[in-house]
Amino acid sequence: MNVGDYMKSVKKLFKIKKNEIYNLASTDELFIKAMKENAVFQYENCIDYKRILDEVAFSPYKITTMEDLIRLPFLPTLYFKRHKMFSVSEKKLLIKATSSGTSGLKSEIGFDFFSLINGLNMVINVTRFHHLLSLKPVNYLIFGYEPTSENKTAISKTAFGFTFFAPALSRSYAIRKTKEGYKLDLEHMKEALIKFSKSKTPIRTIGFPAYTYFLLKKMKDEGIFLKMPKGSMVTLGGGWKQFYTQKVDKEDFYKLVEEVLGIKEDYIIEFFGAVEHPILYTDCREHHFHIPAYSRIIIRHPDTFEPVADGMPGIINLLTPMVRSVPLLSIMTDDIGIIHNEKCPCGEPSPWLEIIGRVGIKDIITCAAGAEKFLKEQE
Amino acid sequence: MILYHGKIYDNSEQNRIISKLKEDLYHSIQYKKPINRDEVIEACDSLAKKVLDGKFDDIVKPFLKTFSISYERFLTMAMMFSREGLSYKCKIELSDEEKIIADRFVRKIYPLGILLHIAAGNVDGLPAYSVVEGLLSGNINILKLPSGDTGLSIRLLSELIKINPALADYIYVFDIPSVEFETIKSLAKLSDAIVVWGGDEAVCAIKSMADITTKVISWGHKLSFAYAVTEATDEDLKGLAKHICETNQVLCSSCQGIFLDTSSKEEQIIFAKRFFEILKQVNKELGLADYGMRAQNAIRLYTEKLENHLTANTIFMEDGVSVVCSDDNILSLSYMFRNVWVKRLAHEDIIPVLKPYKNHLQTVGILCPDLNKRKSLIEKFALAGLVRITEASEMSRFIPGEAHDGLYPLREYSRIVEIPIY
Repeated sequence: MNVGDYMKSVKKLFKIKKNEIYNLASTDELFIKAMKENAVFQYENCIDYKRILDEVAFSPYKITTMEDLIRLPFLPTLYFKRHKMFSVSEKKLLIKATSSGTSGLKSEIGFDFFSLINGLNMVINVTRFHHLLSLKPVNYLIFGYEPTSENKTAISKTAFGFTFFAPALSRSYAIRKTKEGYKLDLEHMKEALIKFSKSKTPIRTIGFPAYTYFLLKKMKDEGIFLKMPKGSMVTLGGGWKQFYTQKVDKEDFYKLVEEVLGIKEDYIIEFFGAVEHPILYTDCREHHFHIPAYSRIIIRHPDTFEPVADGMPGIINLLTPMVRSVPLLSIMTDDIGIIHNEKCPCGEPSPWLEIIGRVGIKDIITCAAGAEKFLKEQE
Repeated sequence: MILYHGKIYDNSEQNRIISKLKEDLYHSIQYKKPINRDEVIEACDSLAKKVLDGKFDDIVKPFLKTFSISYERFLTMAMMFSREGLSYKCKIELSDEEKIIADRFVRKIYPLGILLHIAAGNVDGLPAYSVVEGLLSGNINILKLPSGDTGLSIRLLSELIKINPALADYIYVFDIPSVEFETIKSLAKLSDAIVVWGGDEAVCAIKSMADITTKVISWGHKLSFAYAVTEATDEDLKGLAKHICETNQVLCSSCQGIFLDTSSKEEQIIFAKRFFEILKQVNKELGLADYGMRAQNAIRLYTEKLENHLTANTIFMEDGVSVVCSDDNILSLSYMFRNVWVKRLAHEDIIPVLKPYKNHLQTVGILCPDLNKRKSLIEKFALAGLVRITEASEMSRFIPGEAHDGLYPLREYSRIVEIPIY
């Protein structure tokens, strides 16, 4: 039997109609079928995945319910950081991406043509739904890495990808490649913002929310208040990971954007995703990350790994059948979150995910460790 | 915040203050009366009383929570500042301050002069305590706060100056961002010694930065463990489990794992299971560890189970506690927060296996009911390089007069001056 036959439901799931994107009840059956198809494929094509399922006597052929998906062994992101797992020949991987590696270790994940087409269908659907696609050219300000041939970080690739949602008149990057490696250059971004505020072309900012926040705060302190052209948008992605200590209240952030850039809250959109779970989560007008039909989320208790009730915190376990080249079916993240199932005023029926922190305790930074880091930079 | 001559200044004053610091320091050495140790002890005693009365609870309690340290333990630490504690410490560490040698000259103990304390953001390196040790040995102290300092050190030290204003010329505190490398280097150049607290990388960085004429005294990270014979009593194992749960294995003296005196894997697994049941029970009695740490360790242990076909480790886990049996005899850091390893180490292999860890070795807690065997083990560990050999339950004890990582800090911060007899 060829692969196409196995993956019918997966393809169908990633082509669902726009109005079904946030309807889990109507897509549950298709989702379970797609997960089964992909689990069977992984089981038959990835020796390490087969071993993991066999060790707990889990048969992918018998997946029929959500309960089966709860029992399907999950893989921690840590496992991908220590082991390469490919289910197709490495030659077939069109894109290789590494996670941003906040803890030092990086996962290496590859996507084949089949996985990328699923991703593309999803991105088109989701961005259309959220009115992010536009034919009007914009000036992009990317609060992330300038892409280069050797930069495999998924965030820089995603950020670059986002610049095709609307035609790009220009692209300015906050983390620029210099002779001494990458350098954060917020001054450059400030100048670009001042310049674009005088033009008629709208801007779109993309990337690490923490950098966006630092720059806007700096501009406010310096007394710089701009009015960006009509249709301008602030889009955020890449997480607050490294900046939990300075994590600001989102409301304060929205106020700051309006104050410094003259962009209203409705035009601030946040994305969430991970290399190990490349699903595009986009916040609604209430700034909630609703679960799209392409994925399901289980919140698990840290002591037992049993699912917790909605509204209770636990470790976030993300499920999707999108990727064929790597067994990314059920991923255990390092994040702690809550699923909210109460009605959202935006009208979308699916529950939403709130990320409340990371596992472990805050890194205790010593000045001496800082001195050591700075010394290395001096070398 | 900056503490300078007993007053608190904003960080924006940093460059102005540092530019005239050398003049201030040299002036104190040249014209002021050397600091009187008894006055330091009296001031510390008054401060300790205030701490014990809860005067600093608003800042102390959040600090303790960050490091998962119990309030009771903090009170024990505060007792180290009491008159009795400090007097005893000085008596032990600086005995024979003045002694005639070979009837030819007098040996006197002098302070090194100026100490730069580079503090770490953990309990082992409580920055204020490092400064107090500097004061007791008669030095002028410059403290560079760890980034993320909660303000506790400045509060405690300014209170100390308030109690005895004469101390103002001996305590300077700066909150220099770590990236201001040149500023830190200029303070280091002024100092006779840098007292650095932190991990190997931090110590290496400071050593490479220090001027050749500046002494580097490092209080680096250490590893501690327990050593048990298979006949270890349940009572000893309970004491060890209690120590593990109470310190959450975050201190240098905390037990990371247990070496078992055996070559048999079967005995190792039986022992690990026995200890796991005790650890589980004690964990229940004392209340679970921090939620975020339990979550992190649950994922690490789950990953370890997925890798079991490569490692052949035996893992016992429940309620956020675990015991992992492995085939190696490497002295390693555990996952901490009530997760220990059990490894095989027959007593005849103690010296060859542990000796290579040299300066990383700190405490061993011994669980061995037979007195003669215990004595022979103690001798082996002392020769292997351990500096604290204790009962299992006492691994993280705090007793005035104890050495620090095998050294007496007040001695480290002093020098011997030989002068003629007149």
